[in-house]
Amino acid sequence: MSKRLSIGQMKTDLSASWAIAKKDMRIYYIKPGTLMFGVLFPLFMFLSFAVGKNVPAATLVPGLISITILFSASSIGPMVIPIERKVKTFERLLSAPISFYSIILGKTLGGFLFSLAIGVIPLFIGLLWFGTQIVSIIALIAGLSLGSYCFATLGIMFASFPTDNPGNIMMILNFVRLPLTFISGIYIPVESLPGWGQIAAAFSPLTYVNDLVRYALEGKTLYGPIVDSIVLVLFTAAFLFLGMRLDKKFRK
Amino acid sequence: MDNAVEAKNLTKYFDEFLAVDHIDFEVKKGEIFGFLGPNGAGKSTTIRMLTGLTKPSDGTAKIFGYDIQKQTIAAKRYVGIVPEFSNIYADLSAWDNLMFTGELYQISKPEREKRAEELLEMFRLIDRRNEKAKSFSKGMKRRLTLSMGLINTPHLLFLDEPTSGLDVQSSLIIKDVIRELNQKGVTIFLTTHAIEEANLTCDRVAIIHKGKIAAIDSPEKLKKTIQSVQSIEVAFTDTKLKTLKDLDKIQSVNEVRKEGDKFKLYTHDPSNALSGLWDYAKANNLKPLSLNTLGPSLEDVFVRLTEIEVKTKKEEKQ
Repeated sequence: MSKRLSIGQMKTDLSASWAIAKKDMRIYYIKPGTLMFGVLFPLFMFLSFAVGKNVPAATLVPGLISITILFSASSIGPMVIPIERKVKTFERLLSAPISFYSIILGKTLGGFLFSLAIGVIPLFIGLLWFGTQIVSIIALIAGLSLGSYCFATLGIMFASFPTDNPGNIMMILNFVRLPLTFISGIYIPVESLPGWGQIAAAFSPLTYVNDLVRYALEGKTLYGPIVDSIVLVLFTAAFLFLGMRLDKKFRK
Repeated sequence: MDNAVEAKNLTKYFDEFLAVDHIDFEVKKGEIFGFLGPNGAGKSTTIRMLTGLTKPSDGTAKIFGYDIQKQTIAAKRYVGIVPEFSNIYADLSAWDNLMFTGELYQISKPEREKRAEELLEMFRLIDRRNEKAKSFSKGMKRRLTLSMGLINTPHLLFLDEPTSGLDVQSSLIIKDVIRELNQKGVTIFLTTHAIEEANLTCDRVAIIHKGKIAAIDSPEKLKKTIQSVQSIEVAFTDTKLKTLKDLDKIQSVNEVRKEGDKFKLYTHDPSNALSGLWDYAKANNLKPLSLNTLGPSLEDVFVRLTEIEVKTKKEEKQ
């Protein structure tokens, strides 16, 4: 009986999560802040470092995809949650008969789907204009989906900080995201980094996303697609756990 | 189970600050229960604990027998919440706001569409159903918030300052709906600063002050506890500020307040005070326009219990 009840609650929660994600997509995807931090910021940042480099354009595509999904997925939570705190609509979710997990799932789904939609743009550009080829479709799907979900949970973790100003969270988040782009093999391959850089790269989820996408499009990998995938799942679990703990701590 | 709400030893600390101090009370099924108190008394914190938004430091709260901390989801299914702030999605239409809220409560699509039609009709928003809520007036936003709180056909409705600062039309619509809901058996938990509204609407009221329940009973019974506070309300053809000071000197008058073009004289002995008032009017050639003797109001009870009166007197002396 209790098992049936818990399955019923799970269905309820999933359906509520989907409703929350749909609502977030409708309201926040085209907000200027989301487009600025999630789309334009990574694009211009990448261009400023990549343009003029004497390498084939196709080799830049995996890095552009990775950096795009980092910024797009991790921007939704920190944009949406502080705004909803400010206008008290987050309380509407908290007072509904759904679990807190379903709210978090809904919010991460919003970031995940946004990131997938934005992340395929550089992929298509690479495929159509720069001769990029897909070596492993499974690795590509894993890279895009695991990476997007992992970075969506990273955004949710930062959004747990009790502020109603998205700018406050974006500022702290950029202190983390920007250094990650330099140590994760986006601009310089991890193998070419100094010893300390290679150790730091191992602690960056972006390293594993980039490694997976690079494997999917070029067949080259440092850690192997299975290790990359497992590590990304572990990062996702850690961000979710920390995010919920922080929320519990701050929301007395 | 006769109670819609049961709070036992409910306590909330914010670090060292004791916001709600071990309070106990029940709200019976089907009643309109007023929860009154000055700002910062602990009203909102209590509501947040009762609705599962804030975790109590101690004590328990039950909604229709479900512990809000341990059986949170079951308890929330019976509840509708209308917070003080109109927390609607401004970028969605009135219709989409209701559809989304219905989805959160797992109401099937045909059912929530039917319910949304009824609610928009009830709150006279049906003609604006497809407009984004950001274009709505304050009163319309409030009505939409109330509609969203009712989408799940709750058995218990928490209303936080439902008519505060609203236009007459919105205020009347909301009051009508509250009355109608209560007649259908919905329990109403109402907080308001409008004491007279609570007096006219509530079956019972609790007055919370400094985190403690100062009194809890029906409005009429509460008034009887301060029969010593009676008053005479008088308006003269000519209202002068000097009159206020003179009236205060009349025998048996404890305090005088100027309320608009009237003076309100508080007394424990109305006949003696009336006689003094008559003599004063004659001596000063003042003609009374109106004269009423009043029993204690719920506001008097509120003022007495929350010590607002004492502060006012002190301020006057300073």
